[in-house]
Amino acid sequence: MKTRTSVLYKDGFWAFLMLLPNIVGFLMFLLLPVLATFVISFSGWNLTDSFQFNGFRNYKELFQDPVFPQVLGNTFYFTLVSVPVGIVLSLLLAVFLNQKLNLMRFYRAAFFIPVISSMVAVGVIWQWIYNPEFGLLNYALSWFGIDGPAWLTSTHWAMPAIIITSIWKSLGFNMLIFLAGLQSISESYYEAADIDGASWFSKFRNITVPLLSPTTFFVTVMSVINSFQVFDTVYLMTQGGPARTTSVLVFYIFQNAFQYFRMGYASAMAYVLFFIVLIVTFVQFWRQKKWSIY
Amino acid sequence: MKKWSIATAALLILALLLAACGGGKNEAAPSPQSSASAASGGDSQGGKQEQVTLKFMGWEVSPLETESVKKGLDLFMKENPNIKVEYTTIPGGTQYVAKMQALVLGNEAPDVFFLQSDYYRDFVKRKSLLDITDRVNNEGVADDLIDSAVKLSTVDNKYYGIEACIVAPVVYYNKDLFDKAGVAYPPTDPNKAWTWQEFADAAKKLTVKNGSKVDQYGVYGLENYYMTIAEIMSNGGNWFSEDLKKSAANTPEVKEVLQAIADLRKKDGVSPEAKLLTNSGMSPAQMLQTGKIAMLVDGSWSLQELSHMNFKVGMGVLPKFKDAVTHGQAHLHVASANTKHPEEAWKLIKFLSSEEYQLQNVKAGLWLPNHKSLYTEEGIQKWLTAGVHPDGFKDMIPYFTSSKPYPYALLSSQKIQEDTTAELDKFFIGNQSVDDTVKNIETLANKDIAANS
Amino acid sequence: MKPRYWMKPAAHAILLLGSAVMLFPFIWSLCTSLKNLNEVFTYPPKFLGEHLKFSNYLHMTDRFPFDLFFFNTLKITVIVVVFQLVTSSMAGYVFARLRFRFRDGLFGLYLATLMVPAQVTMIPTFLLMKFYGLLDTHWSLILPGLVSAFGTFLLRQFFSTIPGALEEAAKIDGCTPFGIYWRIFVPLSKPALATLGIFITMGTWNDFVNPLVFLSSMKKMTLTLGLANMQGLYSTDWPGLMAATVITVLPILIVFLLAQDLFVRGVTLSGLKGE
Repeated sequence: MKTRTSVLYKDGFWAFLMLLPNIVGFLMFLLLPVLATFVISFSGWNLTDSFQFNGFRNYKELFQDPVFPQVLGNTFYFTLVSVPVGIVLSLLLAVFLNQKLNLMRFYRAAFFIPVISSMVAVGVIWQWIYNPEFGLLNYALSWFGIDGPAWLTSTHWAMPAIIITSIWKSLGFNMLIFLAGLQSISESYYEAADIDGASWFSKFRNITVPLLSPTTFFVTVMSVINSFQVFDTVYLMTQGGPARTTSVLVFYIFQNAFQYFRMGYASAMAYVLFFIVLIVTFVQFWRQKKWSIY
Repeated sequence: MKKWSIATAALLILALLLAACGGGKNEAAPSPQSSASAASGGDSQGGKQEQVTLKFMGWEVSPLETESVKKGLDLFMKENPNIKVEYTTIPGGTQYVAKMQALVLGNEAPDVFFLQSDYYRDFVKRKSLLDITDRVNNEGVADDLIDSAVKLSTVDNKYYGIEACIVAPVVYYNKDLFDKAGVAYPPTDPNKAWTWQEFADAAKKLTVKNGSKVDQYGVYGLENYYMTIAEIMSNGGNWFSEDLKKSAANTPEVKEVLQAIADLRKKDGVSPEAKLLTNSGMSPAQMLQTGKIAMLVDGSWSLQELSHMNFKVGMGVLPKFKDAVTHGQAHLHVASANTKHPEEAWKLIKFLSSEEYQLQNVKAGLWLPNHKSLYTEEGIQKWLTAGVHPDGFKDMIPYFTSSKPYPYALLSSQKIQEDTTAELDKFFIGNQSVDDTVKNIETLANKDIAANS
Repeated sequence: MKPRYWMKPAAHAILLLGSAVMLFPFIWSLCTSLKNLNEVFTYPPKFLGEHLKFSNYLHMTDRFPFDLFFFNTLKITVIVVVFQLVTSSMAGYVFARLRFRFRDGLFGLYLATLMVPAQVTMIPTFLLMKFYGLLDTHWSLILPGLVSAFGTFLLRQFFSTIPGALEEAAKIDGCTPFGIYWRIFVPLSKPALATLGIFITMGTWNDFVNPLVFLSSMKKMTLTLGLANMQGLYSTDWPGLMAATVITVLPILIVFLLAQDLFVRGVTLSGLKGE
């Protein structure tokens, strides 16, 4: 009938036609700024008219900047705590939700409301909750005889506070995806296990967890990417303080760009972040191959 | 037949979809142009009677301030019927600076805008602001300004903007709590200012304990970077050398002040834990009102809020180490270097720095004047308002007229400011020693000054 | 998995508690928006003030034209949602089902842009917008919103799961790729489109950085920008601020509640769960 090349050609034509609006927009509004940032990262541009290349100087400076390891450490702290805790919590909630419950729709909506709310609005509310004197969190803790800390202004508790808010905000999203994953696991696996007389927990461990691994993988990758790019929560709630304990990478990038007027340096840092995320994502893909044998 | 009609229909739809996107872009193009041409329509001739629209941008400081900006602009437009001012507020803080940077770079900056004092010199350095030196000097606009305002508004003797007013750190107190404890009120006359020891003693007497729990603290508000400055100046020190070329953090003057402030909380227990002010949603004024604290060290701007809170509020000068000193700064009104209407922009800046404009916010307690003439016996009568300005306020006048310029407005460096704040946090909140703190600040600041020069 | 007898009560207990934690901040802000200013800081905290003060909502437009902000946001969101669904689904289909040169490379490029934080590309994007002549127009928010790497990715994943048999049948009937997309893939992907639709609504409605950078006139601003504007440096009008917060969150909540079932089905069916 048709040769392979003509099929290729025909697809190419239609692919071009149907991609056109998307690709024009992609080039004009997404790719161009991303590439421009890459070029800027090799310059000492300080947001004036003059623009001079300075090779790898920005990248070298990263190794001498005493703040950089600190913000990198904070970013890892945030990621390493918020991702696992967020995933475990959302998985557990999804398991509980994955049965015929009366208030199912209510629960789902309740957990999803933080996801759809704007961070500007959420930041306003949470700052208030964390207020050490009048805040609701410390008021609630006082019922249990706990004298709550000055959350956002404590060098120990500011980062946990940021993490709590972030988990609160994204929990519903991950939960919903886990729920979707759970619902697509065939009942027959469990029936087989029932015949063997397996306990609930052993079924959870030996059937649910492995069969859910593609979903877990997706949630992990997305959470890790988002965690490395955390900005809004920090910007709106602590401005990186106190003592830079909540200053994360993107926040420091923003400060360099707009408060210290070092666009070149900020861009270089952005690309370092980009490569970290890229590497972490690749590692996860590579590990996934070992994971999901099912 | 059917197949073909479907294919054609599909193609038509596709064409429509594509056209819809393309059409969108075509429609988009003319709209900014047309609005731009509308805006610049009348002024190309530059004739005096030509209608001119000035774009003016600021941030929402408080509802009252925005209100008074609008009132002021109405007045200005009445006086200058050929000038129309379009005032827009955008979110403040670093968002404002980020946005302004973008606007300046894109040659889209508003004709006149607010600028934070600690970014002013950055914008001057990048040549983003209109030089108004000649106009200021010819019309004698700066003659009546107090020294700190002149110093802050000039860069190498040139004017690129004029400071809006001044705000300065002061002490507020809740009179009822003082009466109950039988402690004399903090003085208003700078010559009679409390020594640090007297201040600390008063704070001790005003601290009320209930078992291990403290019901009422003596004082709050000193543990942040802004508030340390006045005390350091009072001790004869500063964060920087006179010529701003070196950090002066590692000096006995600075160390003594930092230790004294920290001792209030850590040793004497007369000041509450952590800085509640910076990040909490609540204004510290509420703590004073509700009797959580007896004295509050805060900016002069808080008077507007405090005076409406239905409790007996008093105001006094800060305690001194050697001299009674405070510092002043405020945002500046500046014009874009690329404004098409420099003459009209200047008129607006001049109006915004006038007595007439300043008075509204001064009367409300939000601002302090930066005009000498408003601090004369006669001038004070124009704004001193019963029910806003507490008893003895007049005694504080010399304190404000001799206010020192805010050092960070002179040495614009956000990096140093952030580094200093981070180190001070480690000292006040964490356990870093005062010696390490000032050493670290010195190292970081000197490094940054060297990098910038 | 068959639930155990203890699962249901336990689930209700945990989920109720969880829902309370999730909803409480919103309920609290709703309550605060109905209080008098001097009732805001009472301690211990109270849910409601003496009287419900609905006037906080009426006075919202006194200082900022929130009604205008609302319609601006609505207009931008509706246009972006409609068009982005079209472009993303076409591109998603192309990447999932058509074979052409550079396909994988191009798709990789799409994904890579997801990893560069928006705060950095702000200045280049602003200068580009200036170049295109779109500054201070709603087009500056609409046009970039017409395409999305995430949307393309999401729908590509979904389209990959649709069995090839349907497509083969249509091909034999002589359908063009566009015909297949339009006749087969679009009708099959309503839940996925609903899912993406909610995501786009969320992203566009709540977007803060782009409106901040691109818009300069008050009458063109959006809700989040108005809200951030209102948080003045010394502003303590908490009831007013909370009223604005409620107005910002409420519409999107209604959209979600209306489309909830379709949305959830979309998540279940689409590639989102990682298959």
